[in-house]
Amino acid sequence: MAQFHLEMKVNGKPIALDIDPGLRLLDVLRDILHLTGTKEGCGEGECGACSVILDDELVDSCLILAPQAHGRGVITIEGLALNGELDPYQQAFLEVGAVQCGYCTPGMILAARVLLNHNPKPSKQDIAKAISGNLCRCTGYAKIVQGIEIAASLKETKAGVSRA
Amino acid sequence: MPEYNIIGKSVQRIDGPRKVSGEAQYAADLDIPGALCLKVLRSKVAHALLQGIDTREALKVPGVVGIFTHVDIPGINSYGIIVKDQPALTNRVRFKGDAIALVAAEDEASANKALRLIKVSLQDLSPIYDIREAMREDAPAIHETGNILSVYKVKKGDVESAFKQADVVIPGSYTTQRVEHCYIETEAGVAYMDNDMLVIKAGTQNPHYDRRDVARVLGLAMNKLRIIQTTTGGGFGGKLDISVQCFLGLAALKLGRPVKIAYDRQESFVATGKRHPFFIDYITAANREGKLLAVKVRIVGDTGAYASYGPATLLRAAVHATGPYEVPNVDIEAFCVYTNNPFSGAMRGFGTPQMAFACESQLDLVAQAVNISPLEIRRRNIFQKGSLTATQQKLDVSVGIGKTLEAAWEKALQVMPGLGDENK
Amino acid sequence: MPDLSEYYQPQSLTTALELLAKSGGKLRPLAGGTDIVPAMSKGELKADGLVDLSKLPDIQRISVDGNEVKIGSLTTFTQIETSPLIRAKASLLAEAAAAVGSPQIRNLGTIGGNIANASPAADTVTALVTLDAKARLDSLKGSRRVLVSELLCGAGKTNIHPQEIITEINFKIPPPGSKTGFIKLGRRKALAIARMNLAIIFNVKEERISFARVGLGAVGPNPRRYVVLENSLLGQTPSEVLIEKFAIEAECEVTRVLGSRPSAVYKCEAVKGIARDLLTKLFLDSGQGVV
Repeated sequence: MAQFHLEMKVNGKPIALDIDPGLRLLDVLRDILHLTGTKEGCGEGECGACSVILDDELVDSCLILAPQAHGRGVITIEGLALNGELDPYQQAFLEVGAVQCGYCTPGMILAARVLLNHNPKPSKQDIAKAISGNLCRCTGYAKIVQGIEIAASLKETKAGVSRA
Repeated sequence: MPEYNIIGKSVQRIDGPRKVSGEAQYAADLDIPGALCLKVLRSKVAHALLQGIDTREALKVPGVVGIFTHVDIPGINSYGIIVKDQPALTNRVRFKGDAIALVAAEDEASANKALRLIKVSLQDLSPIYDIREAMREDAPAIHETGNILSVYKVKKGDVESAFKQADVVIPGSYTTQRVEHCYIETEAGVAYMDNDMLVIKAGTQNPHYDRRDVARVLGLAMNKLRIIQTTTGGGFGGKLDISVQCFLGLAALKLGRPVKIAYDRQESFVATGKRHPFFIDYITAANREGKLLAVKVRIVGDTGAYASYGPATLLRAAVHATGPYEVPNVDIEAFCVYTNNPFSGAMRGFGTPQMAFACESQLDLVAQAVNISPLEIRRRNIFQKGSLTATQQKLDVSVGIGKTLEAAWEKALQVMPGLGDENK
Repeated sequence: MPDLSEYYQPQSLTTALELLAKSGGKLRPLAGGTDIVPAMSKGELKADGLVDLSKLPDIQRISVDGNEVKIGSLTTFTQIETSPLIRAKASLLAEAAAAVGSPQIRNLGTIGGNIANASPAADTVTALVTLDAKARLDSLKGSRRVLVSELLCGAGKTNIHPQEIITEINFKIPPPGSKTGFIKLGRRKALAIARMNLAIIFNVKEERISFARVGLGAVGPNPRRYVVLENSLLGQTPSEVLIEKFAIEAECEVTRVLGSRPSAVYKCEAVKGIARDLLTKLFLDSGQGVV
């Protein structure tokens, strides 16, 4: 069996591993790096529970092999909180009750982050499109959309504060 | 209104911070070093008798530690929340997906390889997928007790006379489909021995009932078994039933090693309970003012291969068949019936959503027949303080449904302006 | 997990082609991975080894050369969907790319992969065949350009040789003044495999349609052009009557192609709906989609 020397940045930290190249990015994150905040829901790109950010874009980590992330940067849900302090997306989801069972939450929050990086003032429709690859069975989505709207305003306030 | 600490306030959920940070550990996130991987061999046919099972080749696969079948069950090989009719590992297949054997191996690849090498010989029985066929007297029995598992009747007044006096009598037939809960977290868990105590950690909605059934299947005293519910990624009723718990317990107990199992999405679809498909015949009688006089309802729920929460679901269906409306004369019968379909159990609403579809559709038809609006017919029949339900319960304390109806109508007018005056 | 005996991540096209040539069909090229990775994980697809194309330079580019658009085969759906060039010159392709899967899948999946996968319902392929797009295939023996429609030969089947890689897709920009559009019928808005999709290009001169292309997907084994439908537009003046006539023609074509297949009842009716929706949009809409 072949081995692949994988180098990537995960949550800002350089990682070097020799892995079986048949492993999906999801498997490396969960089983080797123990970053279990990334979930497997369907294994075929339907549910988005395994979403991670790969070089600023949202991807399903169940749909690519780990070697495809070689030389690239990956951000998982564990990479958001800074020194134990929740970031605006996490804070907003908590405040409005966008979290119920929580299984889709990491993927949703990462989808929100990518959206707001590209589009700081999204409309409801922009938000719906941005989370269209993430399924939630508990909330009915209304609170999640609201959470992302609040995250956008929180971010704006923070940005305003840091500029001042 | 008095000021409360909690009531009327937005309260952050206690598990929220761990969920938004990714720290919350669901069953599949638990990592026990050295845990064996469990895989289940499931039937590909819907109805058959197990004649023999040969695990010799499969046991030779390097990494395979144990393979278990129905003969390895130490206790009573049946569980179920209401009726103990479902075996942990079966010697008679009752649906496509019934569990036949359990493999424990050092890694997933070896477990999968072993699954392919287990030889099962089955004597095919003709499967029954159609509920009408299952109810026939000469139908082969899927369980020893026969295919009609339970019947619930709600009768009051004189329906036949009411039908004769009524200005309109509207018959309708309704069918509803099987529904998968599709919680985003599939079933998973781990188990290990803590001295002589078996510990099972799994995603579940029912840890106490799980303990009762697992203790029964494994022949353990209740105080030798702990079930710990892990953070659970959605259930909607679907995680009230036993899924992985007996497999985990059996392997950990027999092998004395920690074990882990996680269903993939396909196995979750195949192996677990569904919402009951209903077949409803509904006759409604009313006078020309649209006041309901009587209903006659026959409900058949397809509970599939095993009872699960079927009896409770059909009981709810019977008592909720009239919806939130006053009906003085009722003749309701609900049947819970076995077939060789996937088993049906609890799912949000427990049979009442299916009945709402039929009951509310009937009201629309009656409204049309007596030429009043769908809103008006509901106003004229809705439960109020003092109303009697189909089961003669007097609602003498508080009844909010009338207000809810008016509020819903106001809201509908707001969001859908021009929602015809003809409806008023 | 797939048991891969070999995995290569070449840095140059030549190396990639050498690897494929030497392997004698054992190695498969890997583009975005969104179809073959889950298929391999579930054991539905076997591959001894993979040649991962993700590190190849120069095949993720969109450019224009005279009246021709060239798209590197590893260009993702997101890149196509958001490309100002594609939106201006062939909006139907941008719309088709936007209709694929979900944001996550569009960020990974590639146009070359969509062709090679040869799904009957591939959204961008319907747009490409309507554009009469060609694919450039490279191997150590040289390169060839083949119409995408001729490369496809059945559901999941192509004429791509095992030692070849699709490196580029090119097509002529539709004549100036053309309107183009794409519509997809799915069971839901996101993450739906097309039940059917339809792409149309046309040009109006002196109030009459002087140029027409119509492509349909998820009807036959591969998306293709339907000349009968094109002819029903040619020479006609855009009008409500024409929309209705076209919808009926589309129903006849789908009926003819599907015969007694179980999906026929649904698709024959549904095609009229998507035909009406798309043509109405294109006839009324004066700005968007004009080349």
